[in-house]
Formats: sequence, structure tokens, C-alpha cells
Amino acid sequence: MSARALRITLIVLTVLGLVVASYVTYVHYAGIKPACTAGESCTKVQTSRYSELLGVPVALIGLIGYVAILASLLAPEGETSRFATAALTLGGFAFSVYLTYREVFSIHAICEECVSSAIVMTIMVCLSVWRFLRGDPDAAAAVIAGPAAMPGSTEPASPLGSAS
Amino acid sequence: MSSEFGDEDLTRKQRREQARAQRKAMEEAAAAGAARRMRLTQLGIVVSVVVVAIVVVLIVTSGGSKTGIPASKTEKNSVTKEIGTLLAGIPQSGNVLGSPTAPVTLKYFGDLECSICKEFTLGALPSVIPKWVRTGKLRIEYHSMQTATPEPETFKTQQVAAYAAGKQDKAWYFIETFYHEQGEERSGYVTEKYLQGIASQVPGLNLAQWTSDRGDPELANEITTDAQAVNNNGFTGTPSFLIGKTGGAMSKLEYPSAPSDPTFLDEAVEKLLKA
Repeated sequence: MSARALRITLIVLTVLGLVVASYVTYVHYAGIKPACTAGESCTKVQTSRYSELLGVPVALIGLIGYVAILASLLAPEGETSRFATAALTLGGFAFSVYLTYREVFSIHAICEECVSSAIVMTIMVCLSVWRFLRGDPDAAAAVIAGPAAMPGSTEPASPLGSAS
Repeated sequence: MSSEFGDEDLTRKQRREQARAQRKAMEEAAAAGAARRMRLTQLGIVVSVVVVAIVVVLIVTSGGSKTGIPASKTEKNSVTKEIGTLLAGIPQSGNVLGSPTAPVTLKYFGDLECSICKEFTLGALPSVIPKWVRTGKLRIEYHSMQTATPEPETFKTQQVAAYAAGKQDKAWYFIETFYHEQGEERSGYVTEKYLQGIASQVPGLNLAQWTSDRGDPELANEITTDAQAVNNNGFTGTPSFLIGKTGGAMSKLEYPSAPSDPTFLDEAVEKLLKA
């Protein structure tokens, strides 16, 4: 998978998560019932005491998280931006695990929107960690190809050359 | 000779290039390895920070009481006083709160262990009761619907305990106290000691009589009747409501996202009073 394709995939997933988080945040502040095929379980989750963390709705925390991830993906590709995406998705994934734990063991109800977000975040954390660990594949390819692959250069690029 | 020297030069040059390429490859491999190690270290630090953060969040959000029973006498007195202020002087009969001649009836289907019912009871009822029940316009019937309580036996025991208080026309004191002191769902907090603790906070409840009434099969039948009503109306969660003119047809009343907001009830009662 090319770096570009991977980045686009992550952006698409982030936008999906952003839509879900925006909807849940809207539902929270508008005081309306969330769309739910499982009876009152979504309402039960979203009105439970775990729907807020220190007074801040968890839906809003999710929304802010997705915005931060999107910002890191739209930043110029580099080691720092890839690290930021991986770190943010790891945080988001851990938060999703915590929320799922609360749904299953404390609230005893499942919120469909929360599950959707958790699935999106799980895929994102796998992709972003892989993306960060493999570094810049284009720079690595240029090193393997040698100076001919680097127009205008007389020395092969360092594997970390474009990674700043 | 010159040709031989030329071949020798070429071989040396090739060897030099080969060695240079090998060295470069080793350097690049070492650099790539170092970069990978650095990335893994960075990720390790992030994972550690995230794990610590989640543990802190778990500790912070697990602060609530599991048993629900107030630890101090002052807390108990505060709950009893609050409920007394809300219900004092309002007629009660069995599981009904309010005047028997009130023109509108609300049937409230709840599970005493349900946290959303607690939100409704503690959030909406403190404004609904003074506004509509105390003024004689609304009567509220409490009915049972098992949702949050995992074991049917525990559900039956706790709901019958509330109905037994109704034999002394104090069911609503019991119900309100239970919701005020509700513990964490499915933590198994509803024990005989817990129920006795709730009953002991109901002002003027004859405990010996209450204990004896809990064995009345009529109360257990009431739970069965409630379950039939739940099925007939297709309720899927608690709290669920039926509302209508007293003695007339009842219709389902849906509540918005926040059951603690009494607006949906205010609107429904106003509409029925005008009809």
C-alpha cells in the first residue's frame, strides 16, 4: 500500500468517525433521542453517568480527538505528523476500549454509534501504527534505487532524510 | 602487460566499489534499524502514557457507591427529609400517588435498579409532583418492568418489597428512597439488608407488618399483571409510560433523550386537561 493510499484511507476513516462523533455530540446537546435499532439501549448509554467525564461529554471528547487526528493527517507528511497520528489514534483506541468496557460491564447496554466509532478507531490505530513504524517508504525506495532515482542529487538519500 | 595491469586496476576498482556498496548498505541497515528502534521506543512511551491515563479515568469514574446505602446517618436523614418534603400531604393508596379523583393518570413502568428510572425519578418528578400531583390534577401509578435487574427472583423480591410498603400507603416513600440510594447496576447490592435499610427509612412504616405483607401472594400477582401490561403495550425499556384520562383509554408516552427533563410530561398533562 502506497503512503498516499494509506493516508487517504486514514483520512476517510477519520471523516467517518468525525460524522459519528458530531452526531452523538449534537444528540447530547439537543436533548433528543439518538437513532437506535436496539430499543432504549443507546439512550441508556448516552444518559448514563459515564456519558460525561469530569463534566465534559465523552461525545465531545471523541469529536475533539477526531479533529486532532484529521489535523495530523492533513499536516505535511513526515516523521512528526505520522507519530502524531499514531499517538492520537492510540489514545482514541484506549478511550474506545474504556467506553466499551463501561457499556458492557457498568451500563449493560450497547450504543450503536459508540460501537461504530470503536470499530473505526480500531482500524485506524492498526493502520497508523503500521504507517509510523514503516517510516517513509518513498525515501526508502529512493535509497534502494540509488542516485539515479533522485533527480539532481549526487548522493543517495538517507533513510531518515525526509523524515523530519 | 598494460592490458594485464588494466585488468588488475579494473578488479581493484570493482572491489573498492563493492566494499563501498557493502559498507553503505550496512550503514543504511544500521540507520534503518536505529530509526525503527527509536519509533518503537516512542510508541512504547505513548502506550505507557495512554495506559496510565485510562487507569486514572477508570479510578475517577468508579468513585460511586456500589451498595447505594448512605454511609452516614446524616446522609440518610438528608434523603428522608428531601423525600418527606416532596411527598408529605399527598394521598397514597397502594402503588398510587395522588388524589383518586385526579383527572389524569400516568402509569410509570420502572425497575427499581434501573439507572434511567432514577434519573427520571430524581430529575423530573420533583417538579411534576408539586405542579400536577399535589394540585390534584395527576395521579401516578407505579408498575414493575424488569430491565436492569438481572435475576428475576431479586426483581420480584425488591418490587414486592415496594408494593408491601403500599399496603400501608407508603409505597412511594419506599420507591423514592430506593431510587435515591440506588447502587451500581448488576453489582448485586440488593440484599435483604439493603431492603431492610430502605424500609427503615420510610417514615412511620410498621416494619413487622411490612415484613409480613411481603409474603402476600397478591403482591406477586401484581408483578405478573404488570409484566402482562408490558407485553401488551410492547414496551422495550424502562422507564415506560402510559397516560390518559383517569378511567379512560391510556396511550403510550415517549420521553426525549433526557428523562430528567419534565417538559414531555408537562405537555402531555396540559393537553389532556384541555381535552
